[in-house]
Amino acid sequence: MDNIAGSKPTLTWAVHISVLALVCLWLFPTVGLLVSSFRTGDQISTSGWWNALGTADQNVVMRVADPDENRVAEGDMFVVEGNIFDGEIQGATILVWGTSSRAIDAYQAGETAELKGTETLTVATDGTYTWKGSDDEISGRGQRVFASITAPPEFTFENYDAMLFDPANNEGMTKAFFNTLTVTIPATIIPIVIAAFAAYALAWMDFPGRALLIAIVVGLLVVPLQLALIPLLKLHLGIGIGKGYLGVWLAHTGFGLPLAIYLLRNYMVGLPRDIIENAKVDGASDFQIFTKIILPLSFPALASFAIFQFLWTWNDLLVAKVFLIDASGQTTVMTNQITELLGTRGGNWEILATAAFVSIAVPLVVFFAMQRYLVRGLLAGSVK
Amino acid sequence: MNKSLFAGVAIAALTAGGAMADGHLPFAPGEGAFSWDAYNAWAENAPDLSGQTVTVSGPWLTPEDDVFRSALAYFADATGAEVIYNGSDSFEQQIVIDAEAGSPPNIAVFPQPGLAADMASKGLLHPLPADMSDWVRDNYAAGQSWVDLGTYPDQSGADQMYGFFYNVNVKSLVWYSPENFEDAGYDLPETMEELKALTEQVVADGDVPWCIGLGSGAATGWPATDWVEDMMLRTVSPETYDKWTTNEIAFDDPQVIAAIEEFGWFARDDAKVSGGAGAVASTDFRDSPNGLFASPPGCYMHRQASFVPAFFPEDTEFGVDVDFFYFPSFAEKDLGNPVLGGGTLMAITDPSDATNALMGYFQQPLAHEVMMAQTGFLTPHKGANVDAYKDDTLRGLGEILLGATTFRFDGSDLMPGGVGAGTFWTGMVDYTGGKSAADVAAEIQSSWDALK
Repeated sequence: MDNIAGSKPTLTWAVHISVLALVCLWLFPTVGLLVSSFRTGDQISTSGWWNALGTADQNVVMRVADPDENRVAEGDMFVVEGNIFDGEIQGATILVWGTSSRAIDAYQAGETAELKGTETLTVATDGTYTWKGSDDEISGRGQRVFASITAPPEFTFENYDAMLFDPANNEGMTKAFFNTLTVTIPATIIPIVIAAFAAYALAWMDFPGRALLIAIVVGLLVVPLQLALIPLLKLHLGIGIGKGYLGVWLAHTGFGLPLAIYLLRNYMVGLPRDIIENAKVDGASDFQIFTKIILPLSFPALASFAIFQFLWTWNDLLVAKVFLIDASGQTTVMTNQITELLGTRGGNWEILATAAFVSIAVPLVVFFAMQRYLVRGLLAGSVK
Repeated sequence: MNKSLFAGVAIAALTAGGAMADGHLPFAPGEGAFSWDAYNAWAENAPDLSGQTVTVSGPWLTPEDDVFRSALAYFADATGAEVIYNGSDSFEQQIVIDAEAGSPPNIAVFPQPGLAADMASKGLLHPLPADMSDWVRDNYAAGQSWVDLGTYPDQSGADQMYGFFYNVNVKSLVWYSPENFEDAGYDLPETMEELKALTEQVVADGDVPWCIGLGSGAATGWPATDWVEDMMLRTVSPETYDKWTTNEIAFDDPQVIAAIEEFGWFARDDAKVSGGAGAVASTDFRDSPNGLFASPPGCYMHRQASFVPAFFPEDTEFGVDVDFFYFPSFAEKDLGNPVLGGGTLMAITDPSDATNALMGYFQQPLAHEVMMAQTGFLTPHKGANVDAYKDDTLRGLGEILLGATTFRFDGSDLMPGGVGAGTFWTGMVDYTGGKSAADVAAEIQSSWDALK
């Protein structure tokens, strides 16, 4: 161990560093999305997520309380007092401030600004203000205050709350969650079962035209599924399946099969020939060889394809929209529900970011439960 | 199978019941500025449609979808029919797939007439009930133009009315912050000349007059087409504008190039737009109004349609934090005050008795007022009570629509999809990127020729 590591120390370091760099590169957008999911829509549209991580200097526009409701008479003058932040920004400190959009840094914190006539405004570092003036001046709309502030990071659980517990959303989300499971589980199992049988036949059973069949399967890998959408839907409607779960299972099965057969066949063909021949000599039928020998040995490949297919069907929007989602509105899936949360003109980014993390949860569980098979399954087919 | 089906239906019915309890009849009958008398009179004669279902698909998502469902609830209440609305962000693609494959909803809500005309010519739409065109002509402000916009040739080439406009927006608007104008001592411009002078004044004062953002994902560029259309209406006669939208005058006609250059006067000058001319195409249109509310102000004016308040910061107060003025016309040109607008139209994709009855319900002022009171919904329906509008800003917009001398529909929506939702968009991005107006116009024209 020591001498292996010792022989190529520089190369190992280079590999580690580039792996680390690649991991960071891959994780970077996800971290951004995660941070965004804890921010409000206004925060997202005004500053980048990296600003949210540390104490940030920012310029804000605030308004003093409505004078008509809050003013107090003091001699012949009127006064409005309060805190400019009004509980909206926690722990912020004002550096400089102003009352005109043309001079937003006219006054230091704590200074008193002489406005028109007898009107004065004092804003302290912590945001407390005193706005004083005559009857006329302290009426109508509240004076604007432009402040340059330093504020600690501010995060909110509002988005998750709205997403998971707001009755307007969570009913639809719950329905979509179970619909998605209804789509995904059969759409993962059916192609695996079919592909396992097919892969065995293509790998170990001699029949005329086998090579051609394999070539066709490999060729089908290149056909984009978008080509088949309308003809396939027409077929489904024509034979009475219509739009629904059965249709979407069939579609996912069909679209997933070429890759599944290809992957499993390549794995199975690499299994030791001796075992299979021994079994044949002992009088085992093809079906027995398949169930007793091939299937247990192919578990890593089956699991890795299951992960692929599960992730693809879980994240799928296109196939679901074409084959499943009809006008009744009862058959929505997670991805569809999430895009709809974006709003009519696609502005609700905070909800999108949150929804992405909610919907990621299940695939993550599946992935970590089966990931040790993934690498084995992927490599097994390619390296002989 | 049957058992689980029934169980599924029962669960669906239960959850639907829960949803109804929330969204059911947001305004108690008989209260508020709504046309209850007309509704009650209609409801008395409404057919009993219990057990029937009408499905509606459209582009509205949160929060408009729930508002629309609440408007539908009054129909369900009067007739007993169930109406299901489904929104989709990729409605334009989905309706084509569904209609082609033979599984369309009963009613489709199209975001623009081009696609509806296209589907009508393929025989995928069904004409509206016969009395609808007369009704629209009599009851909508500038009624004939709404009829024309909803009338397309069918498969055999005969004109039929397919589209009924519901939810209209006004595009000729400039949004601004009244207090920023006050601080700087600017007056609202009444003519295009004054607007240009104001733009130069702001630049001279060292600030940035405009926020312009063309970014919109796959549809990047469309805000610029609105600018050009508004400029067309202000430099040429409405008749010429109509010819432009049907390509009777070429896209690279000098009048069109002049209109594009009028837009360029604002958008291609680094000093006049927030972030410089290079940022125009890359700024998202949803983010671009933020400059109005920034400190210090990122810009003083933002030209955008009546739906843009949806992207203003959360606690924005209309009339205080933000207001709008009409995008003015040239004083030297005698073209009146043209208004550019857009809108969604309903068309029948799968006819039934209940569907026709629902179309009848949309003629009721109430069907419009319920929407007006809850969201940025504008209507040219003359019978709808303007007091029902949610706020004064919307009422002002609604009145612009009712009083328009010249109303013209968004030209890019009237052009063939390949141009109006394709090369016109990308061409405008190229133009803001520095390409000459003549080149861009010539390219758009050649793409149009290719479609003929």
